[in-house]
Amino acid sequence: MSRRAIPSDAFVVALARLPQVGPARLRSLLCVGEPSEVWESLCRVSPSESTSQRSSVVGKLMADGLDRLSETQRVGLIELWGRAARSLDVSTFWQAHLDAGIGVTVFGSPSFPPVFAADDDPPMVLFWKGDLDHLAGVRAALVGTRRASRYGRDVAFELGRDLAAAGIAVVSGLALGIDGAAHSGALEACAAPPIAVVGSGLDRIYPRAHAALWRRVADAGVIISEYPLGAPAAAWQFPARNRLIATLADALIVVESQHTGGAMGTAIEATRRGGVVMAVPGPVTASSSDGTNQLLVDGCVPARDATDVLIALGRDSVPRRSATESRRPPSPEAAAVLEHIAWQAAPMEQLLLATGLDLGVLALHIDALEAEGWVAQRAGWVERIGRSRS
Amino acid sequence: MLATVPSAALFGVAGVAVTVEVHVARGLPGFTVVGLPDTSCRESRDRVRAALLTSGFAWPDKRTTVNLAPTSVRKIGSALDLAIAIGVLVASEQLSPAAIEDRAFLGELGLDGTLRHVPGVLPIIEAISAPEIIVPPGSVHEASLVGDRRVLCATDLKELVDALTAEVPWPRPPDEPFDLTVAALPELADVRGHQVARAALEIAAAGGHNLLMVGPPGAGKTMLAHRLSGLLPDLDDGIALEATRVHSAAGVLPPGGLIRRPPWRAPHHGTSAVAMVGGGSQRLRPGEISLAHGGVLFLDELGEFSAVVLDALRQPLEEGVIRIARAETRVEVPADFLLVAAMNPCPCGEGVIPSSCRCTDRALDRYRRRVSGPLLDRFDLRLDVHRPDPRALLHGDGAESTAVVAARVRAVRERARSRGVTSNAGLGGSALERDAPLSAPASDLLQRALESGRLTARGLRRIWRVALTIADLAEHDGPLRAEHVASAFHLRADPAFLLGSSAA
Repeated sequence: MSRRAIPSDAFVVALARLPQVGPARLRSLLCVGEPSEVWESLCRVSPSESTSQRSSVVGKLMADGLDRLSETQRVGLIELWGRAARSLDVSTFWQAHLDAGIGVTVFGSPSFPPVFAADDDPPMVLFWKGDLDHLAGVRAALVGTRRASRYGRDVAFELGRDLAAAGIAVVSGLALGIDGAAHSGALEACAAPPIAVVGSGLDRIYPRAHAALWRRVADAGVIISEYPLGAPAAAWQFPARNRLIATLADALIVVESQHTGGAMGTAIEATRRGGVVMAVPGPVTASSSDGTNQLLVDGCVPARDATDVLIALGRDSVPRRSATESRRPPSPEAAAVLEHIAWQAAPMEQLLLATGLDLGVLALHIDALEAEGWVAQRAGWVERIGRSRS
Repeated sequence: MLATVPSAALFGVAGVAVTVEVHVARGLPGFTVVGLPDTSCRESRDRVRAALLTSGFAWPDKRTTVNLAPTSVRKIGSALDLAIAIGVLVASEQLSPAAIEDRAFLGELGLDGTLRHVPGVLPIIEAISAPEIIVPPGSVHEASLVGDRRVLCATDLKELVDALTAEVPWPRPPDEPFDLTVAALPELADVRGHQVARAALEIAAAGGHNLLMVGPPGAGKTMLAHRLSGLLPDLDDGIALEATRVHSAAGVLPPGGLIRRPPWRAPHHGTSAVAMVGGGSQRLRPGEISLAHGGVLFLDELGEFSAVVLDALRQPLEEGVIRIARAETRVEVPADFLLVAAMNPCPCGEGVIPSSCRCTDRALDRYRRRVSGPLLDRFDLRLDVHRPDPRALLHGDGAESTAVVAARVRAVRERARSRGVTSNAGLGGSALERDAPLSAPASDLLQRALESGRLTARGLRRIWRVALTIADLAEHDGPLRAEHVASAFHLRADPAFLLGSSAA
C-alpha cells in the first residue's frame, strides 16, 4: 500500500497506540498538526537532535503540548514515542482493525456519536465492536463495585433485566461484580441493546472471566473503547473509561459501592455533566453499601427498582407488561403442583410434603413447568415465575 | 552350624515369605544381619540377644551371621525377631533342628523374652507355606483367619522352647476378645424431615453412588452421613478379607478378627496426601482411602482439603485401587470405597438460600476453585441439604428405621450381583444398555438434556446408573421410566448452583 492510500484516521489510531498516551495526550498530539505529519515527525525524532534541529511539530509539543511534565521528562517521552513509532507499521495496524471488524471513528468526523462530540472532555477516537447505532436510544448506566455481594448482584441483574425490557439501553463497564450482573440481566431481557464501555483494546478481554459475556454484549449491542487493538488494561485507563460511561448515561445508577471506588468517581463525573444520579439503598450495616448510602444522604434519588429509574427518566411510571399470557397452560396435574409452588424459592422437600407425590413424578412435573417458563429451579429450590420475560 | 527358619515380612499390604538363615561358626565373636534389613529390623539383634539371655539361654560366643532371603526385598519391622532367635538357638545347638521342622515363626521379642503382636499378621501369614505357625498370643485370632494352617502360640521364649521340645503341652490361646464396637450405629429413624436427603442416602448405599451434600452449617449433613454406614450390607468374604488385610497391615485391626461391617473413615481436612492415599518413604502404609476399602470415606468440609489431596482421589475413584510407587518399591493397594462428602455452599455458609449469602464475588470464586470440576463430576448424587422445616422437626413424620431401609438396600445389591457387579455404580456402558434399557419417555428426557448441554456423556452414564438404582429400590422391572430418570436428574444438581452461584 502506498503512503498516499493510508487514510488520515489510520494515523490517529497509530498515535493512540503509543505508550503512555491517554485521551488528553492524544488531544495534545492532534493539536500540533495533521495526524500523518505528527506521526512522521515522531518517526524522525533522534536522541541526539538539538533544539534547533527539531521539527516544528516536536517544537510545539515541547513548548506547550505536554502539561505537568518537566523539560527532561518531555524529551524522554518524545524519544520514547519516536522509538515506538518507528517499530509500528501504520497501514498494517490499520488493516488489523479492519480485519477484526472493529469500527473506528475520529472526533470531528460525521459518524462520530453526537453524545460524545458534545461533551467537554470528548474522546479523540472511538473503537467499537457491534453496532454503534445502538447509542441512539435512552440509556441508563448501572455501575458498582467489583467486590459485589449477592444482594448487589441480584439487584443489578434485576435492574438490568427490567430496564432493558422497558426499552432502556443498559450501559456498563463489563467489570466483575455489579457490571457483569447488570449486563447479564440486560441480555436476559432480549430487548434494548446492552452498551459496554471498556478500558482496554477490544482484543484484550478483561477480566478473562467475562469472555463469554463480552461476546454476547458485542453480538446483541455494542462495546466501545478509546483504545486501539493490543492496548492492555492499565489501572489509569479505568477512570477515563468511567467518564465515557458518565457521558453516555441519561441516568446513572450506583448499585453497590464502598466509600471509595470507580463507581463513586463515575457518579461525580455524571453529576458534573448534570445527569441524573441514583443510588440503590443497601443495609446500613454493610460496608459494601457505604458509598451508595452516602450518595443517598447527599441527595441522590433512591433507585429501588426499574420503575424508580423510569420515573426519574420521565418515562411511564409502570413498565410495560405483556397483556396476554404467552405461556402454554400446564397440564391439570402440573397445574395442581404449580398451586403449591411459592413466589419465593422454597426447597423441593416442602413440595413433596405438600403434594404427597413421589420425587420422580414431582421432578417430571417441575421439569415440564420449567420448560414452559412457569417456574425456575436451581439445586433443589423451586420458585414460581410471575410473567413471561419475553 | 547353619539353621534355616521360615518366616515372612510385610510389604505394602502383602506379605513376602522370608527365610531366616543363621550361621554360627568359629571366628571373632560378632553378630551381623544382612539382606536389606531396615533400622527396626537391624535393631532386632539387640532384642534377640537380651531375650535369649533373660530366658536362660546362652549367647553364642562365636561369629554369627543372619541372612534374610530373598535379599532383594527390604525387610521392615520387628516381625522377624522370633525367627532370628529360634535360628540362633538351633544354629548354636541349644535346640534340635527336628523341633522346628515344618514350623514358621513370627513375632516381636521383648527384652524379657515376651512375644509381642506385630502389625500385618494376616497378610504375613498368607505368605507363609509352613503347615504350623507360631505367633504371639495377641496375634492368634488374626492368624487363624487364614483357615488352612495350624496356629500355635506361646507367651514367651522359654515357654515356646519348652513346648517345641515337647516338655510341656502347647499353651491354650487366649479367649477371643469381645468386640464392643458393634453396639452403637446411628439410627435413621431419628432423622426428622430431610426426605430428599434420606432418599439420596438410601440410593447411595444401594447403588454405591458417591454422594456430595452441600448445605449451610447446622443443616445436618454430617448427621445424615453418619447414618449411611448402618445402611450398607455386610461385606462379602472376598472384600472382608481384603479390608482386614489392609487394616492389619496398617496395624489398626479392631479386635474381633475379620472385618465384616463396611469400614467408616472420616479423615480430618488437614490430612496430608500421603496419609490419604498411602505411601511413606520406607514402609508403604495404606492410606485412609484403602482403610475405607469396601466401606465409606467421608470427607467433611470438602472445600477445606488441599487440592493435592483431593486430586489424588480421582484415580482410585475410577479404578478401585491405588498404585503407590517409590524409588525402590511399587505396591498396589485396594481402595474401592464409597465417597461421601459434605461442604458449605460458600464461605459464609448461607449461599444456597437465594439472596441470603454475604460473600463477595472474589471470595466465592476462590471457594469454588478449591474443588476441581473433575472431582465434582465423580459424584453421582449432588444435593442441597438445607435446614429442615421447623414443623418437620417438631412433629416427626414417622421416618423409616435403618433396618427397614437396609433390607431394601440388600435387595438392590442382590440385583446388582445378578448383573455381575457388587453395586450398580460399577456397571459399564454396554452393561447399562443391556441391563437397564430406557423407556421412550425416559430416553426423550435424556436426549433433551444432552441437546441442551445440561448433560455430558460421562454425566449421562452416571444419571443412568442412579436411575437404575432408583428403579431397583422401587422393585421396578423392565425399561426405566421417565420418573426414575427425572429423580436421578434432580439428585444430581449442577455444582454451579450448589456452590454459591453467580447472578441468576
